[in-house]
Amino acid sequence: MIEKKVRCLQCGNIITSSGNPGEVILVTCPECGKKGKVTYKKEIQSDDVAIEAINLKKVYGDLIAVNSISFYVRKGEVFAFLGPNGAGKTTTVEMIESIRQPTEGTIKILGKDISRFFNEIKDKIGILPQEFFSFERFTVRETLLYYASLYKKNVDINEIISMMDLKDQENKLYMNLSGGLKQRVGVAIALVNDPEIIFLDEPSTGLDPKARREVWEVIADLRRKGKTIFLTTHYMEEAEYLADRIVIIHKGKIIAEGALEELINKYGDENILRIKDCKSKDIISKLKENDFETISEGNGDIAIKIKYKEQILEVLSFLKHECVDYSTIDIRRSNLEEIFLKLTGAKLREAS
Amino acid sequence: MNLKFIKTDLSLSVRSWLRSKGTVFWTILFPVLLILIFGAIFSGQGDIEYKLAVQNFDDTDLSTQFIEMLEESTFFNITTVDNDAEMAKYMQENDFIIGIQIPSDFGETIQEYFGDNTVSINITYYTDPTEQTTGPIAQSIISGMLNEYNNIITNSRNVVGMNHESILGEEFDFIDYFVPGMIGFTIMNSMVYGSIERNTKYRKDGILRKLLTMPVTRYDWIFSKMLFMMFLSFISTFVILIVGILVWGIGIQMNIFFFIIIIGTSFMFSGLGMLIGRFVKDQETADVAGGAITFPMMFLAGTFFPLDQMPDILQTIAQFLPLYYVNEALRNAVIYGDIDKTLFFMGFVIAFAIIFFSLGVIFTKWKED
Ligand SMILES: Nc1ncnc2c1ncn2[C@@H]1O[C@H](COP(=O)(O)OP(=O)(O)OP(=O)(O)O)[C@@H](O)[C@H]1O
Ligand SMILES: [Mg+2]
Repeated sequence: MIEKKVRCLQCGNIITSSGNPGEVILVTCPECGKKGKVTYKKEIQSDDVAIEAINLKKVYGDLIAVNSISFYVRKGEVFAFLGPNGAGKTTTVEMIESIRQPTEGTIKILGKDISRFFNEIKDKIGILPQEFFSFERFTVRETLLYYASLYKKNVDINEIISMMDLKDQENKLYMNLSGGLKQRVGVAIALVNDPEIIFLDEPSTGLDPKARREVWEVIADLRRKGKTIFLTTHYMEEAEYLADRIVIIHKGKIIAEGALEELINKYGDENILRIKDCKSKDIISKLKENDFETISEGNGDIAIKIKYKEQILEVLSFLKHECVDYSTIDIRRSNLEEIFLKLTGAKLREAS
Repeated sequence: MNLKFIKTDLSLSVRSWLRSKGTVFWTILFPVLLILIFGAIFSGQGDIEYKLAVQNFDDTDLSTQFIEMLEESTFFNITTVDNDAEMAKYMQENDFIIGIQIPSDFGETIQEYFGDNTVSINITYYTDPTEQTTGPIAQSIISGMLNEYNNIITNSRNVVGMNHESILGEEFDFIDYFVPGMIGFTIMNSMVYGSIERNTKYRKDGILRKLLTMPVTRYDWIFSKMLFMMFLSFISTFVILIVGILVWGIGIQMNIFFFIIIIGTSFMFSGLGMLIGRFVKDQETADVAGGAITFPMMFLAGTFFPLDQMPDILQTIAQFLPLYYVNEALRNAVIYGDIDKTLFFMGFVIAFAIIFFSLGVIFTKWKED
């Protein structure tokens, strides 16, 4: 949080306000009631920045896949680039990786403009492309040796193998590995040059929940080792679990940015009480009559905004009084899924 | 140039190639099988004897000599047909697939030739067109015998001809013709499909994108891949040659041209594969496109069957096919030992190699749109 003193444009009163870098906060003058905006610039030390994208734009024919977005990634953080299918995640990450040419905009990695200095940066980054599939008939060990041979730096392959927990598979052919193991090898390949920044484009897509968890642990481990991780995903749980900072991208535009807590504070609702499989049909209107704010989620699921703590009890006794039958009830704060829904009117998994 | 990478790339490519039963089959076993099978069917080892109907209207010693020559070749079991029989009908009734008819002025014309070397005479070759294997092969043998006969009688010029003339010299068998064709064909296939795979599958799988972010240039990578491709070409070539020599006793002449042609061919067809992979981005479709280009060459470029027994139009088409030049260059270099012709055809091979490979390198890119 940054504290800022601003002068009211109407009465000249000095107002103190605070906000996060990159935020725009609405303030009301306590003296005259005039409303105004305070912008908190992303003034962060350039030493801390791993990646900076400025006005990045990519146009394919009529389609603006990435629409003049700006963001930065701090050193040592897991940065989640969250968005539904077709939001422009891969396009963005591949522009940063110098695989695609931006239509407009500037990208800096470790302070260097990649359009001129990308060759110097190659040693410092490791990438896992989306839906990556390596050489079928190389063993895991051979695969790592292969990619490692491209770098001058000599990294200990054995260390990577044990770190990625691939010891038992090192002599298996890549083509015979399960999807989860392939992704783990993919991450391992991205480490063969001991990079500072690692780009992972949807590393857990298509994996079963167990394999996904394993990939998450690997990523969390890398973060502990001080690596900067640029993670692209359309799973909000993944971003919630792993990310230090999240940028939500939708239709080529950034619609929200910040740490999970910040996003929830800013866009999320208070506690929400959810009733699953509610059997009574007219319950929503009855709830409304009794001044409960409801959001119908369909299929008999109902969500009720809890405005003050006692209201929980009120809802429960109301339900009891009405003899409503339901399967479960839970109470929690908004998650990214709901924030996304709120910001775009679409569900994360369905929006594309 | 990153030697560490090139070394690793080469050794792992070889290892992974050995693990792929499919590619080993197509690059080694398949050509060997074909040589064994075709060799067994067509080889002039004397196992095979064609039933040949001969109708001779000439009554000079010259025609008798020619028939004796055919007999001595051991290829033919000759049956003499009565002069008043109708040749085609006779052959049909008596199940002959091939036959020749010597005209009445055969001997006379040859005599005349020594005074006026513009005259010539044709014998007529009868064949059952539905018999597509025996017909052309026997014809090429007769044609070869005719050449020899012409040589004996006139020393150089051809006084006796047939409708077609075989390029198969007198001392060469079908298998001598077949082996170089098999080499060219095998190299073409492994280069085109290998190149297509690298430019479509590797793109789809993200390998090319990954390489783009690593310290390797496209040129290092292509260089390294070409080394491996050359390794495949030479392995195939040597296995084919060894089987040809050991099993069918072909005589070959090793020379520098041979190596240049193999290298040129590898570059030529790798370049072609790169171009296909560049414009047809999906691997399966690209493989089909590759097949559409290579498969016809198998028949039209004189790969397995002598072109000069084919219709003129096909002979013309052949001259537009790169594989034709490879086949001819290899044959002349390794089998016939005809340096002039080798240089001529090799020139085309080198030119095609430079054109296709440069275009391939220029047009392929790793970057995404
Ligand atoms: N090479 C291309 N040519 C034309 N359009 C493209 C190209 N690449 C991507 N697009 C389009 O740009 C938009 C963004 O695509 P992108 O792959 O960046 O999305 P994404 O967020 O990575 O989605 P996903 O979750 O499916 O990977 C999509 O509408 C896509 O169809
Ligand atoms: Mg993507």
